Amino acid sequence: MNNNPSQGMNDELLISSLAIGESKAINYIYKHFYPTIEKMVFKMNGSTDDAYDVFQDSMTILYEKAKTNNLHLTCQLSTYLTAIARHMWLKKLSKRKQQSFSVLYDNMDEDVAVDDDLSKFFEFEQHANKLTQSLTQLGEPCKSLIESFYMHDKSMQDIVEIYQYTNTDNAKTQKYKCLNRLRKLFFNEKEKVGNERF
Amino acid sequence: MSDSNNTYEQIEKYCLDLMDERERHYFELEMERNPALRKATEEHKILLQTFDHIESSEFIHQSLNHIHHHSRSQTDVLINQLKLHVNRYWKTASVAASVAFIASFLTFLAARSVYNKDAAGIFEPLNKTDENLKKEIKGLKNQVANLNKKVTPQPEGPAKFTGSSFAISQNGYMVTSLHVIDGYSNIFVFTEDGIGHKSEIVATDDSNDLAILKITEEDFKFNGRIPYSIRKSNPSIAQRVYSMGYPKDDIVYNEGYVSSSTGFQGSENQYQLELPSNKGASGSPVLDEMGNVIGIVSGKQSQSEGITFATYSKALLDLASKLPKDFIVSSLTNSALKGSTRSSQVKKIEPFVCVVKVYND
Repeated sequence: MNNNPSQGMNDELLISSLAIGESKAINYIYKHFYPTIEKMVFKMNGSTDDAYDVFQDSMTILYEKAKTNNLHLTCQLSTYLTAIARHMWLKKLSKRKQQSFSVLYDNMDEDVAVDDDLSKFFEFEQHANKLTQSLTQLGEPCKSLIESFYMHDKSMQDIVEIYQYTNTDNAKTQKYKCLNRLRKLFFNEKEKVGNERF
Repeated sequence: MSDSNNTYEQIEKYCLDLMDERERHYFELEMERNPALRKATEEHKILLQTFDHIESSEFIHQSLNHIHHHSRSQTDVLINQLKLHVNRYWKTASVAASVAFIASFLTFLAARSVYNKDAAGIFEPLNKTDENLKKEIKGLKNQVANLNKKVTPQPEGPAKFTGSSFAISQNGYMVTSLHVIDGYSNIFVFTEDGIGHKSEIVATDDSNDLAILKITEEDFKFNGRIPYSIRKSNPSIAQRVYSMGYPKDDIVYNEGYVSSSTGFQGSENQYQLELPSNKGASGSPVLDEMGNVIGIVSGKQSQSEGITFATYSKALLDLASKLPKDFIVSSLTNSALKGSTRSSQVKKIEPFVCVVKVYND
């Protein structure tokens, strides 16, 4: 690979700027790593759209790990990202086939340990789907209120202004009411009892 | 504010790591004492993590979309896809090219050795030399002919896994189950004579678990025309069916009946058969009593012996209609098997049912 990233920007610098969401870092990673991953997915019978999908998800893993200071690489960043993408694609491929069918797949030789990262990601994705669903069921204005606080990092003060509450306490009460309903929607599948009292 | 709100606020503060050491300590003590609080805290953590995940994923997706769609002009994308295609198939091409090269090199050697013999044998009686030469030329000619016959390089090493397939055109379009070959490009179809033919995927249908392969040899041809037709209409329950496939090295015949019009867990893309099947049978044709293909074996219910699921033949026809011009769907509308006994049907079909094996690249 002539695009050896360590020649241009070193991995550590790249990770630390990715951690704060710098577009330069994302740009760099896309430019230098995406072509390899696209080629790989394509070779394994994926389309270019599949490749882009896999790349986006692999980047999300990378970003989340960088952000929480959890990325302790034992290899080059490019190697890690490629390994993630490769396993991600294999997982997606096998998911496409009906699961209970007797299909045999040999495990690929393990290159870099990425299983934990991947299973965490898929668990997150599952939760995220459930949460999006629950938010829709929650309805307005709760949905927007919750989203602006938890996802768009708006402060309580901002929320008072946007939703024209009389004061922060009022907004807080409203937020907790919404949150409570959301929790019920989100967790109810598992059990319904005993979340209320402490 | 109510108590409950207060507790939530505490939980949130704890989860976001905003408590000072003292507060934290007390909160943790309280959690030990109160399992409900612990549970609520853990749940809140999950909730916060999930919000975080959605936020991160949205951020990355947006940033990348911006780069992806702006950095690539339409031509770039096309050129890149072209490059990728070349990449996917260059191996096949280079193998073919090297075989051609070896063949021509051997021809050259043959010609040269003939020339040398001629020079060396100058003192021998001419007639005998003639004889020897003729023999040698003949032998060499045969060798070259054999080499040319083996244009398809045989696969190396053990197969990753195997399935069944059947022909839908004389020039080597084959049907199999997508899951048999998905993710692999090193695919071989084995004809009756045991010769493997390198094949490539030309069409796939995810939702129906179908794939159409094409044997890549240009001059490949099955002997005789395809005996069965492919039926457009759906099979009916209780209809008797049979199938032929390769769960082992030799072809295996099975018979049964259509037992339900939906497949695994009610899937509408498949229907259910009471028909024994085993690993390797995926991709086998399911035929009715007239010798029409009415389905493709796709899988079986785990831990059951007799329940097999088949893909509708209609889905196959739909997929086949997207094939290039050198494939004619209309050739599949007439069955040459009507009125034949079952065993003569099977005999006629057998050459067109083949093993598919996939290998590591």
